[in-house]
Amino acid sequence: MVELMRNVGIIGIGYTPVFVSKRKDVSIAEMISEAVDAGLKNTGLKPEDIDAYVFGNMATFEGVNLPHLWAAEHMRAVGKPIMRFATGGTIGMAAFHGAYYHVASGMADIAMAVTYEKHSEGDAQVGLMGIITPEVMAMLASGIDVTGQSGMGAIGGGSAGGISFQASSYLHRSGAGIEHIDAIAAMERRNAAKNPYAHLKDPEATAEKIAQTPMVSWPIRFGHICPTTDGATVCIVASEEKAAKIADKVAWVLGVANCASDATTANLIESQITDPAEQLPAIIASKKACERAGIEDPKKEIDYVEIYNGFAHQTLMYLEKIGMCEVGEAHKLLEAGELEMSGRCPVNASGGVVSTNSIGTSALNRVTECALQIMGQAGEHQVEKEVHKAMAHGWGGLMQYCTITILGDKPKKL
Amino acid sequence: MEETKVVTGAWELSTFKFNVEGRGLQLMLKHMKDRKLMGIKCHQCGTVYLPGPFYCRKCHIKIDEPAEVSDHGQVMTFTIGYADVRGNPLDEPRIAPIVKLDGCDSWIMGVMQGCAPEDVHVGMRVKVQWAEETTGSLQDMQYFVPE
Ligand SMILES: [Zn+2]
Repeated sequence: MVELMRNVGIIGIGYTPVFVSKRKDVSIAEMISEAVDAGLKNTGLKPEDIDAYVFGNMATFEGVNLPHLWAAEHMRAVGKPIMRFATGGTIGMAAFHGAYYHVASGMADIAMAVTYEKHSEGDAQVGLMGIITPEVMAMLASGIDVTGQSGMGAIGGGSAGGISFQASSYLHRSGAGIEHIDAIAAMERRNAAKNPYAHLKDPEATAEKIAQTPMVSWPIRFGHICPTTDGATVCIVASEEKAAKIADKVAWVLGVANCASDATTANLIESQITDPAEQLPAIIASKKACERAGIEDPKKEIDYVEIYNGFAHQTLMYLEKIGMCEVGEAHKLLEAGELEMSGRCPVNASGGVVSTNSIGTSALNRVTECALQIMGQAGEHQVEKEVHKAMAHGWGGLMQYCTITILGDKPKKL
Repeated sequence: MEETKVVTGAWELSTFKFNVEGRGLQLMLKHMKDRKLMGIKCHQCGTVYLPGPFYCRKCHIKIDEPAEVSDHGQVMTFTIGYADVRGNPLDEPRIAPIVKLDGCDSWIMGVMQGCAPEDVHVGMRVKVQWAEETTGSLQDMQYFVPE
């Protein structure tokens, strides 16, 4: 087991002033600079203090191939090392891990993870099409009817169509019902109403209201699906020595891990379909991250969780996968009110991805939200209990990639 | 007034060349003409895949042992599509199950007919409806029907 090389802490976070459907007033690079400026302002750092930048956003979604180079000037990174990550939904956390590795290894003392998505300048469905193009080409070449009317080419409707197989498998195997997906979606939209950086906010959201939204692909309704959001997030990490000089409050990185599995859906040609609700990478990565963080039982030791839930059922499903409860138990915790901000196992007080999804930022926002909870700076969406340790989860890729970050209020003993 | 500039373009699909003439797929197609499903089994862990890949997902070793898979199986998960990729409602809801065929460990995705959407459930027994005339394409497996 490789031990941590040196302690790394989050010393600053920067968000764009709003996360909304369309930011027509700024270009991609200008929007990114808003978050970078906010991060510098919040820490009092100057551009010359940042040793390295790690950039994250999804390839193809905006039709811009090298946004990290376009934005280099706007993020004050000219003349500095820059790396870019594009791992799908997990991008934000992959970029965060990149920044973490820079500092943990001693290659940099202070690094900034910069992530964004500006969906209004592209077409996410076209982007998703780019992701499954090899699959579709292979299907065409094999004589499969890709419209899904006959043959074995039952591609559902975009991302929601793909994920509905996972939701339906999860419901069957956990004993939860659609009413629980309605209820968790409503809880998160209510939470989002308390988060100034959330997109879809509804303080009056109820399960009954969500249940009235149209069925898109059973069991996924419109009300269970994330929006497409414009926004940028940055996160600044520093070595223990630097952090002590710069920051009053630090959220320490206790453990990180990631894991990939087979493609779990649509991958007909290469025969890779297994249970889309199994999500082995989440199980493996959370175990590994806990091991690195010295956590034996996340149920007892983790106070707060941010789950990457592009679709509402995933909050419940991943709570089980990452070890915050037993399989089949998450919907019971929900019924008992334990997942609420006032509950014993608060989750997604931020409103989750289901309320705000500027894809490049989404997995980083899970980390930054955990950091805010630990530092006691989450404002109106601060949970009632004290948060000493928190876990952030990222999900995406072709549905089979998972990232985990565990933060704490104290640095790890090396 | 908001001014929008629109740039139109075409995506030339023919410029993509993906090699899918894999051994496992070829083996499968060859036998589908005879309405038989032939997968590949890992000699180490016994996992059977259809169509067979080059290597075992679990053992990471090369595999090449043919293994026949039944055209009967059970629904492991499913969805009922009500909208197309653009969110436009479909004329008829579309049932799309993912099926574990008997004797196979990987799952296969398809469409289902001969069943009302409300009657589909996980664990349901189904079988492949073969095309009247098989040509050795994946189209030979037309859809699933209740067993
Ligand atoms: Zn094997």
